[in-house]
Formats: sequence, C-alpha cells, structure tokens
Amino acid sequence: MSFDLAVVVAALPAILAGLQVTLGIWLAALALGIGLGFAVAALRHFGPGPLGLALRLAVEVLRGTPFLIQIFLLYFGGPFVGIRLDPVPAGLLGLSVYAAAYFSEIFRAGFVAVPRGHVEAAQCVGLSRAQIVRRILVPEMTMLVLPQCVNMAVILVKETAILSIIAVPEATAVISALGSQQYAFVESLFLLALIYWLLVEACGWAGRALERRLSKFRFA
Amino acid sequence: MTARLFELMLKAAGYTVVISVASIGIGLLVGILVCAAKLSPRPWLRWPAGVFVSFFRGVPLLVQLLLIYNLLPAVGIVVPSVVAALVGLSLCTAAYQAENLRGGFASVPRGLLEAADMAGLSPWQQFRRIRAPIALRLTVPALVNEAILILKASSLVSVVGVIELTRTAQNLAASTYEPLLFYSVAGGLYLAINWIVAGGGALAERGLRRGRLA
Amino acid sequence: MNKRFFVQIALGMGLSMTMPLLAQAQDSLARVKAAGVLKVGTETAFAPFDFIDAAGDHAGFNVDAFAEVGKELGVKIQWVELPWDGVLPALEAGQFNMVAGPATITKARMERYRFLSPVAEATVAVLKGAKDATIQKPEDIAGKMVGAGKATAQLAQLKTYSATLPKPVVAREYPAFNEAYADLAAGRIAAVANSLPNIAYVASKQPGTFAVVKPPFGQTSYFGYIGTKKPDDQPLLDAVQAALVKIKADGRMKKMQEKWFGTSFDTPDVAPEPSF
Repeated sequence: MSFDLAVVVAALPAILAGLQVTLGIWLAALALGIGLGFAVAALRHFGPGPLGLALRLAVEVLRGTPFLIQIFLLYFGGPFVGIRLDPVPAGLLGLSVYAAAYFSEIFRAGFVAVPRGHVEAAQCVGLSRAQIVRRILVPEMTMLVLPQCVNMAVILVKETAILSIIAVPEATAVISALGSQQYAFVESLFLLALIYWLLVEACGWAGRALERRLSKFRFA
Repeated sequence: MTARLFELMLKAAGYTVVISVASIGIGLLVGILVCAAKLSPRPWLRWPAGVFVSFFRGVPLLVQLLLIYNLLPAVGIVVPSVVAALVGLSLCTAAYQAENLRGGFASVPRGLLEAADMAGLSPWQQFRRIRAPIALRLTVPALVNEAILILKASSLVSVVGVIELTRTAQNLAASTYEPLLFYSVAGGLYLAINWIVAGGGALAERGLRRGRLA
Repeated sequence: MNKRFFVQIALGMGLSMTMPLLAQAQDSLARVKAAGVLKVGTETAFAPFDFIDAAGDHAGFNVDAFAEVGKELGVKIQWVELPWDGVLPALEAGQFNMVAGPATITKARMERYRFLSPVAEATVAVLKGAKDATIQKPEDIAGKMVGAGKATAQLAQLKTYSATLPKPVVAREYPAFNEAYADLAAGRIAAVANSLPNIAYVASKQPGTFAVVKPPFGQTSYFGYIGTKKPDDQPLLDAVQAALVKIKADGRMKKMQEKWFGTSFDTPDVAPEPSF
C-alpha cells in the first residue's frame, strides 16, 4: 500500500469541480428543503385536516424509506410515468424533497414547543395570524430548532455522496473515478474520507457559531 | 411480479433486518464503551473516543464501508463481505449511540445523585440504580430513531458485496425492466419494517415509563 | 439481551479475521483445493456474461464457464457480487481469488493484472434506440450524449473514438451498464457504447427498444478473466488457465459461446498483446 500524492495533485481541477457540484447541490437542497419543510409544517399545523393527513403520510413515507430507493424511484421509475429528469435536477429534487420531510418534522416540533401564552398574548394585542407567524412563531422557533437544523444539514452533506450512484458528477463520483482510472484506490478512499470529514466538521462548527451568535436573542 | 420474485424480495428484506438488528446490538455495546470513554476523566480515553465519534459521524457510510473492505486487508485483516458490512454499520451507529447516551447521562438530575450520596449508595450502586435506568429511559426514543436510520442505511452495504433488499430490487428491476414496480415494493417493505420498529419502540417507552423507575 | 449471542458474534468475527492469516502457509492452489471453494468476484449487471435473470437467478456465460472450471479443479464456486468499480480494488485487497467480469484486455490492465485465456471478443460498438434514424453509422454519435460503465475499458474506447470525431461525444458514466441501457430506453442519452456480445444480446432481448449500429468502432480486443500478479496467486491462476484451455480444446467453450452469444469466437489460448 502506498500513497501517491502526484496522482491527487494532477487531478485537483477535476476534484474541485466535483466539490463545486457537491456544495452547489447541498446548499440548494438545504434551502429548498428548509423552505418546503416549513411550508409543510405550517400546512400541517394550520391547514385543513385532510391536507394535514395527506402530508403526514407523505412525510412518513419519505422518512421511512432509504434515500437510495427514493432516488432510484425518481430517476429510473420516473420515465415510466412521464417524469424524465437528468441526473443533476433529479438529484436536487430528490434530495430537497427528502430533506423537506425531515425539516418539516423539526419545524412541527418547534411550533408545538413555542409557549401557548406567547401566541395568546399576541392574539390579545390584536396581531393577525400572519403577523403572529412572522413576529412570534418564526423567531422563537428558529432558536428552538437551530441545533436540529444544523444536524440535518450535516446529514445532507453525506447524503449527496449517494447521488454518485445516478451519475451526478459530484465529489464522490469524481474521486472514485480517479481511483478506478489510475488504479489509485488507496488515494481515492483516503481523499474521500478526508474531504467529507472536513466538510462535516466545518459545517458543524459553522452551525455552532451561528447558534452562539443567535443565542443572545434567546427568549427567557 | 411473480410469487417467486416476491419471495426473493421478502428474503432479502429478512437479510436487511438481520444485518441491521445485529449492527444495532453491536453498535449499542460499542457505543456504551465509547460513551464511558468520553465521560472519563482520563484524557487518553477521552481523546480517542472523541476522534472515533467525529470520524464515524463525519465520513459517509459508503466510504467507511469501502475503507473497511478494501483497506483493512492492507494491514493483514481480510474481512469478508458480511463482516465488513456489520463492522461498518455497527461502528457508524456506535458513534451516534454514544452521543445519545452521553446526552441521556448528562440529563440525570444532579439532585438525585446528591440524594443517593447522602443515602450512602456506592458509585456502582448509583450507576446501576439511578444513572443507568434514567439514561436508558431518556435514550429509548433516540435508540428507536437510530434503529430506523440503520435499517435505511443498510441499503448501502451492497458496495461491499452484501445482497440485501435494495440490491435485490436493483437486480430484479434490471432483469425485468420494471424499476417502478420493484423499487416501490422495496420501499413498501422498508416502510413496513420501520413502522414495526417504531411501534415496538413506543411500546417499550410506555413499559419503561410504567416501570418501577417512576 | 442474550449475552451468549453477542459472544458468538464477536468470536465469529474474530475468527473470520484471523483465519486467512493462519492459512497463508500453503500456496494458493493448495488452499483453494483444501477449502474446496474458489472465490470469484464479479458484477451481475453485464449480460449475457453475468446477470440476474427474470426468474431472479444468477445466470450467464460466466456461471456456466466457471461451473466447468470448478469441475476441472474439483472445487465449488463462490460468487462475490460487487459494483464494477469496486471489483478490482477488492481483488487487490485479496477478497477473492480472481475476477470473472470479464474485463477487456488492455495494455494498462495487462501491466497490473494477469489475464487468463480470452473467452470472447470485446470490440466496442454502438447501441441506439430502435426508432432513432439519426444514427446509421458509428460516427453519427458525434456531438450526442453516449453512456458507458464507470471504470470500464469500453468507456476509455469511447473517449478515444470521440477525439477522432468532428464533434466530441458527451460521455456519461454509469455505475453499471444496466443503468445506461435504462437511460437509453428512457431517452436521456442517444446511445450506449459497449462490447458487441453485450449489446447484441440486449438488442435481441428487446428488439423494439434497442438496435445495434454496425460496424463496431473500437479496435479489435478480447475479454478475459483476471487474477493478480502476486507470486502467491500464480499456482492457482496456472491451474485455472489450464482448465480454460482444456475447455476450449474439447469444444465446451464453443457450445457455451453459442448458447449465450448466438455465435462463437476463435480466441487465442494465451491473452494476446493488446493494441491499446
């Protein structure tokens, strides 16, 4: 077993391009997942009963099945029902919907955890429903759910690696191709481990920094 | 789907369950050790435990599995497919379970331990009678969550040659040209297994709550 | 929790890790014969060589060929199925005795591995959608999106060929050729580049969906089974080589080729010097 740094250096441009795809898909899926997840949580909390039930079922299915199966269904099953997406859009859509299911659960718990008294007080002073959501629920909830959101963001970084299986040219695909084309198996595995480890640690660190910054706004 | 193919899918689901359950069990044992090391006052125990948790939570399982299967032999340890899958899943869940347990122990009220001190309970008695039962009760929901995560994560072990539910669905989808059908059935089976696990977890929680610990 | 259960698992894991070390004393052939098992790594998404059939069974040319090899050596065959880009690293790691695949015999691979007697021709050709009139000859794939398996010689051939075209093709890499076929059927890509025996089989199974574009564009090449160049592995590989040559000489190989490819190939007994 030997480690040939020259192989890694020669492949740096390709690796960076792969990393860019990984980061792009991750950030986009994070944003879409949070947005969609919030909408789902809000609809389940405030929306009509049947809609809430349908959404609950969808969330349960998404949380109860492996992401790999979901992405296989979307990518390989999709064309049979008229959904023909290329790898990157399919990966992005799949990852966002998957993330949304988890984020919606985090937000739902957040809604419930906001003290009822705060909402009642807001109703008493005559705030509209939209105002209550915007001024009371969202800010208070943000503080409550931030740690879990950071956790979920970290999990999503790692899930992007699965997209290599549907030929998305992200970091795992690029680096493992480097391994198989140049027989640099050891180098590519070490590199993969190192890159994701650093990404995840950086993400966790950034999340904790954000928590500290926001904690001064914490409500008693 | 013929009866024979459905039977193959069911068998593969059984394999998924066996591997996941074994990994959860081994992972819990390793997780307890790692948690103990992380809570230890000795830095030479605390440090490696910290690196262990950070590594196995930071590196995608896909990569961990390949490291175990393809790189351990370089240092003279040849692990066959099933063992590589078990080790990978177990160590990964151990890192998460150690953190869950640590959270559980951290939330045992200090007052209870002080009271136990006054009552003259030895540290071991305190651990057995107070800290462990309370931490366990607090971590049961997390354990159930972890079991579901591992059941789903086991869909990746085919990269080291273990043919479980997802791989079987992939094989049959390719040979019958019916991806929609086979991936849906696989998804349904995962869902059913996870609902059973979640239901079992809810029962266990209720049991623990009603138990003598209250 | 049952303590004994965990002790057994722990013991089992410990044993399985140390066993290979203890057995190192004899040479590879003696070890395989003593165990009565030849471990072969492969990928089951490479019809008609190696695949899971519609009844869910592991089938194909490899299964038949290794059954004969097993008979010659007096051992059973144990298959280890991996994604293709994981097969060669696992061979180097010593997870199995040899690789079925088969793999195209190339210069780069020849340098690193030992190829046994070729079993079929591997020359690369184009598979297109049956209704696609825009591709009539191989060079018509210029500028189009073409799929191939990751870490395969066919992908390398496609890229070499692409460089000679007026407009390069856009190569899309798949974990296995099965996924590339699925994407061709779904219309995401215009063609798949793979060896003639493979795509001829796929097209014959689904004539309404796929069609082979003739002639092949790649340079003439062969498929062979692979072992390492580790001195310790050579006695075993010598024995498998001898078995393959015998299977060829007495006509069994020809029959298997006709069964799976619909035609037979004249392949040399010893892997020839590849042209690329």
